[in-house]
Amino acid sequence: MAIVDPSVTGAALTPDVAARGARWARIRRRLVVGVPAAVVGLLLLVCYLGPLVLPLPAPVGGSVLETRLPPGTPGHLLGTDVNGNDVLSRLVYGGRSSLTVAIAVNVIGVVLGGLVGALSGYLGGRADTIIMRALDVLIAFPSLVLTIAIAQILGPSLPNTVLALSAFAVPAIARIARSATLRVTTMPFVQAARLAGSPWWRVLLRHIAPNIVPQMLNFALLGMGIVIVTEGALSFLGLGIPAPAPSWGNMIFEGQQSLSAVPLLVLWPSLALLVTVLAFNMLGENLRDEMSGR
Amino acid sequence: MAVIAGTATAGERQGLLGRLAESPLARLVLRRVLVAIPLLLAVSILTFVLLELIPGDPAQVAAGLDATPEEVENVRRSLGLDRPAPERYLGWLGGFVTGDLGVSNVSRRGVVTMLGERLPVTLELVVLAFVVSLLIAIPAALLAARKPGGIADRAIMVVSMTLLAVPNYVMALLLVLVFAVALRSLPAIGFVPIGEDPVGNLRSVTLPVLALAVPLACFYARFLRGDLVEQMNSADYVETARAKGVGPWRVLWQHAFRNSSFGLLTLVGLNVGGLIGGTVIIEQIFAMPGLGLMMLNGVGSLDVAVVQACVFIFAATAVLANLVVDMMYAVLDPRIRYGHR
Repeated sequence: MAIVDPSVTGAALTPDVAARGARWARIRRRLVVGVPAAVVGLLLLVCYLGPLVLPLPAPVGGSVLETRLPPGTPGHLLGTDVNGNDVLSRLVYGGRSSLTVAIAVNVIGVVLGGLVGALSGYLGGRADTIIMRALDVLIAFPSLVLTIAIAQILGPSLPNTVLALSAFAVPAIARIARSATLRVTTMPFVQAARLAGSPWWRVLLRHIAPNIVPQMLNFALLGMGIVIVTEGALSFLGLGIPAPAPSWGNMIFEGQQSLSAVPLLVLWPSLALLVTVLAFNMLGENLRDEMSGR
Repeated sequence: MAVIAGTATAGERQGLLGRLAESPLARLVLRRVLVAIPLLLAVSILTFVLLELIPGDPAQVAAGLDATPEEVENVRRSLGLDRPAPERYLGWLGGFVTGDLGVSNVSRRGVVTMLGERLPVTLELVVLAFVVSLLIAIPAALLAARKPGGIADRAIMVVSMTLLAVPNYVMALLLVLVFAVALRSLPAIGFVPIGEDPVGNLRSVTLPVLALAVPLACFYARFLRGDLVEQMNSADYVETARAKGVGPWRVLWQHAFRNSSFGLLTLVGLNVGGLIGGTVIIEQIFAMPGLGLMMLNGVGSLDVAVVQACVFIFAATAVLANLVVDMMYAVLDPRIRYGHR
């Protein structure tokens, strides 16, 4: 550390200014995690509890006499869509299905992918080779093709969308889990447990799992955004959540038909998608920086 | 050590083939190709099985929905769809390895001919998307890394973080809304072949390329900025260059960026496969007659030969891109070339 540009490190300030800077940095660090966490919490609250508390009309079965009402119409805060359904209600219910799919896919991904990856990394040898080659096939396979094929085989529905999206979440998370396991396996406490005669499943559950879970949960947080976007893409292609049930993806798709006449019908779900993905991405990224001590 | 031993044995062997076999680069390529063959074989089996599992009768689709049962049976026999599944797969595979990609069940045209029309469209989109994304990302990252925490840095980071959260299909619709609906300056859908009208071609691909390139550019800019800042803060050669009196931009460009370009290259290589798959939805929105749309239609009409060809190209591109990245590493960095890090 010979010559360092002061503007780069923020050093070389008077102690007083430095202390104030440190306090501000601490507040900033809390904010960059706290704000996106609050947004995520609010989204979950609105989407899951909103329909129970707010006076929302049903998201489907709207009247043909009430199509394309402008925002601010009494009873329809954000107006209605081309089928006469309340846009706000569809946003809330659509968000509920988007979040449900994303949470389910990431839970499956972390549990199954974590198990497969940790086993593969821990066992090593031939088992590792076979598992990793199988995952390579799934990863080399164009992910959208795989999800489209699965969605077509099983038919479009919410649980099937979850299955289709899990098909590429599991291999990706398994790879992360494997590399994390490889790193942990060489550590002294794992070696000690193995030498002490613990069976492999015990070493895996008691010693390795607690050390790789935080990293995987963090990856899953970043994966939330990816899954929400891909679910939108599937619904956009008519293969995800089947209409008339709302999802942000099929709302964008429906809105696309009347893009030039009523662009707001595309913009509302797009904005919801943007805010949600942004909140999850920021939360994931800033938590990771926090954990790695940057 | 390894270098000397390598050249000694190479000298003993005669001819180009002998020298090629000794070259670490050739061995790297050979090893990777050997791994890729079973991988691509497994991908093709998976594709076949998935298409078999999709409900629907390919003969009915090929004959048309209003065809009589006899007509459907005739089509089934003429297309060979009455044979058992393993036989059909092996028949396709046998043709594939001899360069015969088969015939589309629906259009009855050769798949090779169809690829000849479709591939250039997708290739143009993907290549332009990469070029545009790097043209945006590199200057943005350099500008941001010049003064970390400065106004330019913060602005670039906030904008890129936000745009990164916009899926490409939403980006596509927003671009259509602004440039096609409001400004009426660019076409919303359709593709003009470059041979017909070069300017029209560029105009027709502008919006789809931007929809693909903008999220990618944000991703690259964020990565490159992080890597550059790390290099500038900690690398010895940066300090040496500074001590010699090299200007800040020059240090950034000639010293830090050269090193960071390795990571960027890896990222681009990893993205090639994903991007080529990601064109599916963009081609759908902009009605681009590319590979993605061909595959989507193929899956819809259970057209095995068409889907197999598209999936093969997607998967092989991903494998090939990774190989090219590794080879470029080897060419750029002698330590990797000679097998000791």
